[in-house]
Amino acid sequence: MTTLPDIPIEVDGSHGEGGGQILRSSLALSMLTGRPFAIRNIRAGRQKPGLLRQHLAAVKAAGEISHAGLSGAELCSAELGFQPGPVDGGSYHFAVGTAGSTMLILQTILLPLCLAREPSEVVLEGGTHNPFAPPFDFLHRAFLPVIARMGAKVRMKLEKPGFYPAGGGRVVVHVEPCPALRPIDLLERGELKSRAAVAMVSNIPLQVAERELKLGRRRLDLGEQELQAINATEADGPGNVFMVVLEFSNLTELFTGFGELGTKAERLARKTCDQAERYLKSDAPVGDYLADQLLLPMAVAGGGSFRCTALSSHFQTNVGVIEQFLPIKITTGREDRLAWLVTINAGA
Amino acid sequence: MVIDRLELIHDSRNSDLAETVSTDVLQVSPESEVSRTVIDWKNPWDFEEVYGKLLDFCQAYPFNTDEEQYLAHLTTGTHVAQICLFLLTESRHLPGMLVQTGPSRRKNSALGTCHIIDLNLSRYDSIAARYHVRAEQGLDFLKAGIKTRNRKFNSMIEQIERVAINSKSPILIMGPTGSGKTQLAKRIYALKRSRNQVKGELVSVNCGTLRGDAAMAALFGHTKGAFTGADVERTGLLKTADKGIVFLDEISELGLDEQAMLLHALEEKRFRPMGADREVESDFQVIAGTNQDLHECVRRGNFRADLFARINLWTYQLPGLAERREDIEPNLDYECRRFEEMHGRKVRFNKEARKLYLDFATGPEAKWSGNFRDLSSSVTRMATMAGPKRINEAIVDGELERLRSQWMHQHPGDDLLADLLTPDQLAGLDLFDQLGLRETIRICRQHETLSEAGRRLFQVSRLRKTSTNDANRLKKYLERFGLNWSWIRETRMTSD
Repeated sequence: MTTLPDIPIEVDGSHGEGGGQILRSSLALSMLTGRPFAIRNIRAGRQKPGLLRQHLAAVKAAGEISHAGLSGAELCSAELGFQPGPVDGGSYHFAVGTAGSTMLILQTILLPLCLAREPSEVVLEGGTHNPFAPPFDFLHRAFLPVIARMGAKVRMKLEKPGFYPAGGGRVVVHVEPCPALRPIDLLERGELKSRAAVAMVSNIPLQVAERELKLGRRRLDLGEQELQAINATEADGPGNVFMVVLEFSNLTELFTGFGELGTKAERLARKTCDQAERYLKSDAPVGDYLADQLLLPMAVAGGGSFRCTALSSHFQTNVGVIEQFLPIKITTGREDRLAWLVTINAGA
Repeated sequence: MVIDRLELIHDSRNSDLAETVSTDVLQVSPESEVSRTVIDWKNPWDFEEVYGKLLDFCQAYPFNTDEEQYLAHLTTGTHVAQICLFLLTESRHLPGMLVQTGPSRRKNSALGTCHIIDLNLSRYDSIAARYHVRAEQGLDFLKAGIKTRNRKFNSMIEQIERVAINSKSPILIMGPTGSGKTQLAKRIYALKRSRNQVKGELVSVNCGTLRGDAAMAALFGHTKGAFTGADVERTGLLKTADKGIVFLDEISELGLDEQAMLLHALEEKRFRPMGADREVESDFQVIAGTNQDLHECVRRGNFRADLFARINLWTYQLPGLAERREDIEPNLDYECRRFEEMHGRKVRFNKEARKLYLDFATGPEAKWSGNFRDLSSSVTRMATMAGPKRINEAIVDGELERLRSQWMHQHPGDDLLADLLTPDQLAGLDLFDQLGLRETIRICRQHETLSEAGRRLFQVSRLRKTSTNDANRLKKYLERFGLNWSWIRETRMTSD
């Protein structure tokens, strides 16, 4: 299939789960390929359709790093036109309001900046640990090591956590240019190197963290040295996350639960442990969320494969968008109840 | 919703709080810019102070409605401040919409709620529809439920409806006799009454029936013994109409003294009854009716220019029935209903009879010189003839014959001579004589006595004569047509 580069790729925003993921993937792919796109029915499946402010923030950030021509870039707009120029590395500062996650902005611009010719320093302000978005620790500990193996040179530092709804967090990301990403295969976990349960609280009693760790310790049979309580006193608003980190020789996986008013600490910790136990029942290295994240870099690398525990609806949406922009074929096959093989092949 | 700029108004005592709020706003909404204005209130519950200072703020603010949209946040501040912001927004001193914010309805959600309120009521379909229904009801009221079709008439009624509801100023209704002036005045009163805009009564008076002392006494009242025959005290119609409406029909017939008193009463809302030492107060609205050209009356000196100027504000010319032929059918139905209400008996035409009548009534042959009065009498006659049965073609035929002969000798818009002369007499008169006689009668009716009328009519020749008996000359002129003074005067009094 060939498409003339100048004719915008038509993306239907109502496909798949119809959320913001399809928009973010389109923005990234458009900057990576230099091909313009027009998206219609943005978030058609949602209660409040159209661009919300955190989507607009992602569009504006993408527009800034790629000098893109924009149309329809306003709140509640159901259509957007995006015509990217070359991506420039450099110093950037992006802030996002209340409900917005800085990590979703980073997810949109990270790969284009990796493949730019100049290094970048990106300061992100807003939420760093938001529900319905990958938290800082996930990108830092699970995602970055994998794309580092593919050649990406990224360092990121959490200067101040920002929880929903107060926000006010700050993350600094350094990107060194790399000419291209290498295909890799991620089929085995390798040997288990470490386990940890981390409970972070901000402006709420430290006991909440202790209760979460107590439950995590019992459920996952952890030792005292594998528990870590963090009191993030520097953060602006109240917040709480509970994470289980499993480090293997080939990758690290991380599972997160977000505390909120009215949810008991034990319930939050139990649900997070449920995720970790489910992962441990399988031998596939890539968890549900990481699978969503890895599709894009592997597609950009032009090949690769991985084994994962499940295919989410985000995953399916991403496959559809990626195949529109890039001449690749993504095949999936189920191996057993908790293992899928995903293969990315160039020149479909 | 993204707010580009937040104008935070606070007093200097709360600067620290304002600083915290600004910082919080910028953290939660990095897209926004916060601009602070200090207004120190002596008393934030004092309406005058708060309104004045907020008005100053609005007037000094560089609003740029082409580039920016504004929202007035009503959720914070004293209730007085909220009321003032509302008023300033409603009066467009603050050219935007209102916004009301609040916490989320769901217990655990940090995301609040916000409601934007546009005060432009026409934007709201259901409200606009209700206003429309109410306006329609008002129009219906004025038209007594008659579905009139004449465009000019309908648009005039629409205007009258607005004026009637919004204004207490005098209304002047001009129109030929029988065109419905009295009816319209009654309905304007009923409309205002239904909207609670008048508390008092509707007092209708035909100025043509008021003469001399009696006129003054009737309008303004008198004390006991104020003049010969004033045996008891009388309140006066204008006092009776306090907080209500007085309908002065044939206002051109009012004497000059009464006109002066009326003007005073209108302007001062007070007047002095005859023989009284003190003025009484009365706040009434005037509706005036006339079939005369008041400009002409002013020119001739029979009507005070200042009074005319005072009542000539909302002036409406009611067209005659002949000019509203498309309204004859709905009015025919209305007259039938009215007859039914009065006599408790249905009035029906058979199909052919109705068509026959309407064809004639809307055709060029029908003069309708007595306007609605003619139509009403016509329906009464036919309904009476038909008795309990339907009105048939024979009855209509007879009625058309009667109408034809009634209008045969009349000139369009002229019933002055027809009132006084028989059709046969009129038929025997040259147009030359008709014109002279008509004007002479008109002048006669504007004067109290035969002598006064004579002086006016022979105003040049009387100066040259040695002995002047203008009254006699006039009397003889009238006798040539079989008319006399008292008859001319009497016919006038009953003519409307």
